[in-house]
Amino acid sequence: MRIRENRVQTVLRVDLSDGSFSKEELPEEWTGKYIGARGITSRLLYDEVKKGTDPYGPENILYIGTGPLDGLPVGMGRLSMACKSPRGTVAEGSAGGFFGPELRRAGYEYLAIKGKSDKPVYLYIENDNIEIRNASHLWGLSTYETDAALRFEIPDPDAQFRYIGPAAENLVHAATIMGNLNSCGGRAGCGEIMGSKKLKAIVVRGHNGIKPHDYDAFVDAYKVFRERVDIKTSRDMWTPVWNTYGAPVLSRLFPDLGNLMTRNAREMTWDAEKAINISSENFMDNYAYKAKACWCCPAPSCQKLYSVPSGKYKGFKGGNYWAGQPIALGSLIDNGNMDLMLVISGLCNQYGLDIFHIGFTLGWAMECFEEGILTKADTEGMELRFGTFDEDALVDLIGKIARKEGFGELLSLGCSEAAKRIGKGSDRFCLSVKGQELEAIAERNLLMVALGVAVSEVGPDHTRWYPPYPCNPSLITKDELSNLGIDLDLRLAFDTRNPAEKGKLLRWFTISRAIVEALPSCVFLVRDTLGLDLRPWWNLFKAATGFDLEYQELLKAGERLMNLDRLFNVREGFGRQDDRVPYRISHEDVPKFGYKKIDDNLLNPMLDEYYASNGWDLDTTVPSFAKLIELDLEDTVEDLWANGIKVK
Amino acid sequence: MKRIYIIEQLCNGCRLCETFCSSLSKGVFSGQAGRIRILKLAGEEKDIPMVNCDGTCIRSIFDDRRPTCVGLCPTGALYFAEHEQAVEVRRQYEEARKEHSIFKFLAPWRWPFPWRRPGEKKARSAEKEIE
Repeated sequence: MRIRENRVQTVLRVDLSDGSFSKEELPEEWTGKYIGARGITSRLLYDEVKKGTDPYGPENILYIGTGPLDGLPVGMGRLSMACKSPRGTVAEGSAGGFFGPELRRAGYEYLAIKGKSDKPVYLYIENDNIEIRNASHLWGLSTYETDAALRFEIPDPDAQFRYIGPAAENLVHAATIMGNLNSCGGRAGCGEIMGSKKLKAIVVRGHNGIKPHDYDAFVDAYKVFRERVDIKTSRDMWTPVWNTYGAPVLSRLFPDLGNLMTRNAREMTWDAEKAINISSENFMDNYAYKAKACWCCPAPSCQKLYSVPSGKYKGFKGGNYWAGQPIALGSLIDNGNMDLMLVISGLCNQYGLDIFHIGFTLGWAMECFEEGILTKADTEGMELRFGTFDEDALVDLIGKIARKEGFGELLSLGCSEAAKRIGKGSDRFCLSVKGQELEAIAERNLLMVALGVAVSEVGPDHTRWYPPYPCNPSLITKDELSNLGIDLDLRLAFDTRNPAEKGKLLRWFTISRAIVEALPSCVFLVRDTLGLDLRPWWNLFKAATGFDLEYQELLKAGERLMNLDRLFNVREGFGRQDDRVPYRISHEDVPKFGYKKIDDNLLNPMLDEYYASNGWDLDTTVPSFAKLIELDLEDTVEDLWANGIKVK
Repeated sequence: MKRIYIIEQLCNGCRLCETFCSSLSKGVFSGQAGRIRILKLAGEEKDIPMVNCDGTCIRSIFDDRRPTCVGLCPTGALYFAEHEQAVEVRRQYEEARKEHSIFKFLAPWRWPFPWRRPGEKKARSAEKEIE
């Protein structure tokens, strides 16, 4: 057993075209400058994937990586993935599970996978033994079957896998990279890129140990962190509820509060009976049978395994019922049948599909059908109407989307591409930004979410600012807040339907969550005061790596990550014109609850405030020269100039 | 003599006990050297803690007599008790499991809010955490 420290991070570069690989140590100061995980994958992506690279070509690189805290029990097994998205933007995702720490134990923090294989392969990594193995027998198998086949092939029970399902093999929009059966990530395009490289799976097994720089300081910092997130001691009222019942408890509250996107977000409230039927109380009582967790997570049962107890789908087994399912596969398509929803959700996991892609694209198709834009001739005889669809046909349709067959081929493009192909004004019903479908959190009543969805570099992504509520700001005094680098009027900022201060608030949320993702740790654990006070994370980082980083330096590192993502998009030609909210959100009020549409009059001042507080140009969103100097990113300036982007 | 007992249905397989235990002697997190290991079987469906330890912890990070793994367990799947007490705790748990679905996933003494048994009018506060 070798002992690994956390200061220097290592990249394993694999070229699938010729089967070569090499190991490279990153400069030590990068750990202080970019921290790790999302920070370093962003930096490598910016440096190595040049402007205009073909996303499906061999030059596009898929980065999968962890950071200095993974392998220590605060990393939660988080894994960061990055590549250039087929939509042209930067694609980033993070996932939990057990793969991250195993990768670090094998001796690497990052995998950089380049090139393209002719035949299906999988990558086998055991410490210094790296092989590219034939995966023809795995190609076409579902994720569950792949997992079982790999377990049979690799007898070591501690080996960890990441794999793709049939959806990613067929380059379906928003396909995900899966692992540990139900942990998925990379909906922004990482799955498609992995599929295009014909890389079916990555297997990793490591035997090394990971040593924090100062063990005693690490344990002390861990105890403080644990007190904030443990269900018994956390001062956040949501911690126990979230970490046991899971977010679907909200589907009971949301119909009355007007937060539930219903029938493709035409309405914001749903029948109480249906909402109660799909709530997590029903799920916990009748469906769930086993709690699961990511690596070393202090949340007792954030994920659960379920089986359907009776009815047509009796015996169907799957995993994870979280915030997305009751909305994307429930209210959005007006489906009050819990069995059906769990079956669709389970099938999405098996095929490696993204539930938001499925939910919002089905919602779009149903609305088009009701408006007469799609007819029975298009849908192969299916009656796609909200609430009254044929259940069996819908279950079949999920398989067809993953295999790109018949009508499924249209839906597999994602709603924005599908709307472009169909035309006839169907893009009015498409809820997507930068080609990526929305997520389950409603926009018109939470202006910060609307702004976050509009400006996010990867398209709508909740991990950029989750959770979108104040984590008990009253527990921190005003003087302390200013020491922590927060210059906000919190009362205005957390007034959800007042556009004031939203830009600055989103800036803070993006920076703080970027730091959490870069350590890496889980954004679902940003509880108690951890959303405003990052000092527990900071202490953990210092104890683990031995870097004597100032608190303000840590915040600056978070800002650096945010700017790197923006620089990548700016270089690819994205700008202010792309930071928009979907048509429905910007053109339709919700009179029942008094929500206003988020039109230009409302959105533009928020965008201006966000760009200005970041030091970005208001028209082109290019970070200013002074800002880049301040963040030590001056090496990017030359590259930007060479690509014709004016840095002021 | 007090020992570490397990409730295997409660284990969610997070491996926090295994990882921390392995670090206690040399400060290196490896998972291999731990005196408690999690056995994962049947495609993520079974997580079984296997304890190879008499309960005298090398170093209890919570500064009490509880072993580190017991103090860390998020669900309460591990507990530290005398044999008679352990049987009683297990019986309590089996009862609680029938009464409320949350206790399928969480030991009753880990739940922070008051809860009510069917037929009881008064809500009871969470039971005192056993050692």
